[in-house]
This record gives sequence, C-alpha cells and structure tokens, in this order.
Amino acid sequence: MGIRTSSPESAEAYQLPRLVRLAPNLYAACFTLMKLVPARYILRRAAEEGLLGPETVIVETTSGTFGLALAMQAVHLNRKLVLVSDPVIDDRLLRRLTDLGTVVEKVGAETGSQVGGYQAARLSRLAEIRANHPDSFCPEQYTNPDNPRSYAVVAELLVEALGQVDCVVGPVGSGGSMCGAATSLRSVFPECQAVGVDTPGSLLFGHEDRPRSLRGLGMSVMPDNLDHRVFDSVHWCSASAAYLATRQLHQRHALFMGPTSGAAYLVARWWARTNSEALTVVMLPDEGYRYLDTVYDDQWLTTEGHRHAPLPSEPTEVDRPAYSDEVWTWYAWQRRSYAEVMSGAEALARSS
Amino acid sequence: MVGVGYALAHHGELLQGTFEEDAGRRRRALVTLPLPGWGSRAVFYPGHYDDIACRPELTKSRRAAILTLHELRRHTSPVPGGQIEITSNVPHGVGMGSSTSDVTATIRAVASHHGVALSREEVGRLAVQAESASDSIMFDDRVVLFANRDGLMLESLGHRLPPLAVVGANTDPGATVDTLRRPSARYHDDELARFRVLRAGLRRAVATGDVALLGRVATASARINQRFLPKPSLPDLIELSRRLGGAGVQVAHSGTVAGLIFDARQPGIEETVSECKAAIEMLGLPLTAVIGIDRVDHAFTPEQVGFGLAVAAFGHNSSGGRPDSHAEVPV
Repeated sequence: MGIRTSSPESAEAYQLPRLVRLAPNLYAACFTLMKLVPARYILRRAAEEGLLGPETVIVETTSGTFGLALAMQAVHLNRKLVLVSDPVIDDRLLRRLTDLGTVVEKVGAETGSQVGGYQAARLSRLAEIRANHPDSFCPEQYTNPDNPRSYAVVAELLVEALGQVDCVVGPVGSGGSMCGAATSLRSVFPECQAVGVDTPGSLLFGHEDRPRSLRGLGMSVMPDNLDHRVFDSVHWCSASAAYLATRQLHQRHALFMGPTSGAAYLVARWWARTNSEALTVVMLPDEGYRYLDTVYDDQWLTTEGHRHAPLPSEPTEVDRPAYSDEVWTWYAWQRRSYAEVMSGAEALARSS
Repeated sequence: MVGVGYALAHHGELLQGTFEEDAGRRRRALVTLPLPGWGSRAVFYPGHYDDIACRPELTKSRRAAILTLHELRRHTSPVPGGQIEITSNVPHGVGMGSSTSDVTATIRAVASHHGVALSREEVGRLAVQAESASDSIMFDDRVVLFANRDGLMLESLGHRLPPLAVVGANTDPGATVDTLRRPSARYHDDELARFRVLRAGLRRAVATGDVALLGRVATASARINQRFLPKPSLPDLIELSRRLGGAGVQVAHSGTVAGLIFDARQPGIEETVSECKAAIEMLGLPLTAVIGIDRVDHAFTPEQVGFGLAVAAFGHNSSGGRPDSHAEVPV
C-alpha cells in the first residue's frame, strides 16, 4: 500500500484519467482513451462469468474509440473481435484496429442517407453476424448496464483525489460515462450536479436527428444507457464551437485532446466561472492525435468555415430542447425523464 | 501468574460492505468506530489440565483461548489449559461488538500470560477463527478496512480518525441481533460499484481529517444497509444531522445502534451535542454513548450508569489519544 506499482496490462495502465487543475474550482479528467473503462470492465466481467470461451468471437458495432478499447482488451484476453463500422471510419483508427487483429466490417455508404443513418445500418448488420456466430459475445455498450457501472472506478479516483465534487460536466454518447460517473458520485454527494454536453441535431436530448459534422458527439439512435433523469442541465455545442474550444484547451493548458473534450471544456469553463464555489470536474475523453489534420489545422478550420465567428463567452438559454443553428445553447433539464421534458416542450410549442 | 487482556467495544461501523480487490476477488469488510470507555477485561488463570474452563455462555472466548494456546506453540511452550474470566460492560446484540471485545480480550490475556506480544494481524485472524466474523477492534493503532469473515486487514486507511463527536442512540430498544444467524447481505452490482467510491472517500477523509466527507461516507453506507437490516428511524436521524449541521449518521450494520457524527473541532460543539441528545430523546430513542466530547464535570464510569450513557474521549486531545492495546478500560 502506498507504493506505486506496475500494471499487468496496458489497458489497465491507460484506463484512468490524469487529473489536472484548470482553474481554482475546475479540474479536468484527461483520459488517453476513456472507453477503456467500460470495455475493460465489460469484457473482464464476461470472462469471469464464463461468457468468453476460447473460441468466442466478440462482436460490436462502433466506428469510434469504443472499438479501439475493445480491440486492446481483446489482445489481453486473446479473443477474436469483429467490429461493424460505417464507411467514414477514420483511416488511422482502422489501421490501428487491424494491427490489433480486429476484423472491421463496413456497412454500405448508401445507408448513411437512410432512416437512422449509419447507426441503424450497423445495428442490423451486427444482428446478422450474431445470427451466424452462435458462440459470440456482444458488449452492447448502448444497453449493457455494466457500461455506466464501470465508471465507478473513475468516481473512486475523483473522490479520493478531490473530495467533494459538486458538478461533473462531460460529453454524452452512449450515456455510460456521464450517467455512471454522476450516479457513483451521488452515492456520496447526492446533490452533485450533472451537466451533459450534446451537439445540435442529435436526438439524445430532444433535437430532431440531422446530419452532424462533429464526430464522437451526438447520436441518431437513443441508447438505453442514457438515463435522462441524471442530468441537471444540457448544452448543445456546434462543431465550430467545439473545435475552437479544443484549440483553446491546447493553447491555454497544453492539453492535447479531441473535439468532444473541447466541447466539454467550453461548457465546464463557463459553468465553473458562474458557480465559483462549486468544485467542478470535466471529463475529457480522448487525445488529439486523430485530429491533427483537421481540428489542429488552421487551414482546414478556415476551409470548413469554422473560423467565421468568434467563440461566444456564454451560452444562450433555451426554453425547450429543439434544433437551432445557434453556436451554443443550454436547457435546464432538471433531472426529468425524456418524456416529461418533451411533453412540457410540446405544450410550450402549442401555446406559442 | 495470571494473564490479563483488555479490548474496546465499538459503536457500529463507519463503512461496511463488499469490496473488490485485485484479480476480481470480492471480500466483505468493515471499518469499525471504536468506543472508548466500553469494553471487556479477560483474566486467564493457567492450569495444568488440557482444557479451558469458563462460564458456559463464553463459547467463543473458550474457542479463542484454545486457538491462542495452539498459536503460541510457534513462540513458546504454552500451558495446556486454564480458566477464563471476563468482565464486560458491553451490551449484547445491539451491534457494539460485545463478542469480539470478549474474544480479543481473551486472546490478549492468554498471550500476556506467556509474555508473548501477538501482532494485531495475528489477533484479528485468531478472533475470526474463534467467532467466524469479527470487527476490527484489535487494530487499535490504525484505522483499517478489515475483512471481517477472512480475518484479513485489506487496507490501513491511516493512523487515526479525525476528531469526531458522535452521539449514539439505540434505534430499536429491546431488539437483539445475532450477527451469525443473520443471512449475510447480498449486494448487487450497483452497490459494489458504490462501495468502491465509499472506500475511496473514507481513505481521503482519514488522510485529510475531513469529518464532513467521513460523515457522508457513513451515511451512504447506512443507507445501503437499510435493505438488509433496516432502522426505521434512520431518515429521522439523517434529517436531524442535517438540521444540526452534522456530518452524517453511522450505524451498526449488524445491530441496532446508530450515531450522529459531528466535527469535534467545530465551534459550539458542546451545545450542539446537548441539543442533539435532547432531540434524540424527543424521537423516543434511548441514548447509548457520546464519543469524543471530553466533559470532566460529568466524567462518570459506565459502571455507574450501566447501559445508559457513557462519556468517553478519543482521537483529538492529549489525554484521549486512542488507547493502546493495554490501556485500562473502566469495567
């Protein structure tokens, strides 16, 4: 106890974030690859429960970092992994996955414009693969309750290192990290606030589903693991705002993170400033390497039209969750269910 | 020459649950809240016969004495047997550790007769062997997370608890709980996840002397335990703690006592404690003990009041540092 020791596996060594103070009351949880937390927990649990035999194929649908995390853990467990991805998977990620021995299946490009987009197409392809592989295990990050549960290990670190946490801010995808971390923190600090960060045109918090340029944030399918009642407030950050904030995070704090981290940083910085007594933690899920040619390239930002407007210093509060082309909005969700919020929003829409 | 041993009682736990260790192994474990001023005193009279004589109800202590004599063979040539006598002021069946107190005092008495100083880890292991499940009262020099059914110290959380004032009550007077006959709590996965966080919180609270955090951990642990051994007045006690600016509420996870936790350093603590005592009586609950408030003008021994109210000090002043294993317990 007390002495530092080595890790038996790289996935363990990588899974926990570094905690960095950004302001007197704002701390960043900087992950190398946050999805290692659920990937590792889910696969190790499955192995403990005898669900991963020597021939069991692990299958999952993902085009992002959850796949990479599974691929790393699959190496440690010596299991075969098949990932169903969409055609726009990042080429560097694809090469890394392949090098880890993962089989990556892409769904057709034409499915992107169909109902539910790539995400729906991937889910149906996954079902086909599972039907053909009787001995398969699917981690099901969108529905598996072990996904949110796995984040207790992060809450544990936060409580030990920081003590009372008054607010946690982070991007929302599957719902696992934010619901898991906030719920775990609330076992000790029931009043801890949860602030979710989403992007316009994502249906997670009530926008209509639209094409989005910001990868890794927002969803076209509602994940079961998203428990809306966890959230005190929700922010929608545009891709441009997220990209510019990502650069500021790098320029001001030398933190080299991806754009979902930038979006979370933008929101957390404002939240911590307006609640100066509250100890705030912001979740920064992955690093910036995959975005060197885009978010970290000034020329690309200009060409793509992300540098037209300066970053707003504060968000616009909205009275209901609905798509808008504003750069940054927020809504007081107040730990309500999705149905409660949406029925209230409908009533508002009728009266106006 | 007879051997004499002492051991403290406790006022339930600050935390109790199941904790995941490395390699996915899970262990039941607890962090005990010691109760200075209450305890057991054991006397071992060596004999030449191959047996341990004692009052018939002291079966666990008898087993502890036999196990200790066996253990002592690793150190010396122990006597074949003898007689154990125990005096204790600890009530039974309310979760104040009467049994572990007797057992630990017995182990110490037998070892003391032979001039052997068993380590606290050894005493803990013997106690669990003797009674199947023990609290961690033998670790009187540290705050430990103790695997109460394996007899193992999982983690030392620190040298001592921060200065606490605890006002204790019996939430179910008249009822008794048999620790071993009770089915063990079966925690679900979300609770196991919560215990990870609570353990980390307590680790920090002890390391930094953060009573507020310690109280929050204790309250959370008490709430989880409601599913297994509910204390109907827990919500009232939590509300009272909030109203009086307390840190939280701790309970005996296998008993009926509970205590409101305050920071003993806070201004006006004596008045707050008086107010708390009055409020608990208003709830119709008998007081058990007040820990951590040194009130010389009311210093009476538990002997004088029986199982009513004891005033004891530990942790925060020079006279009341956590007593070592051989500190005199007034019995």
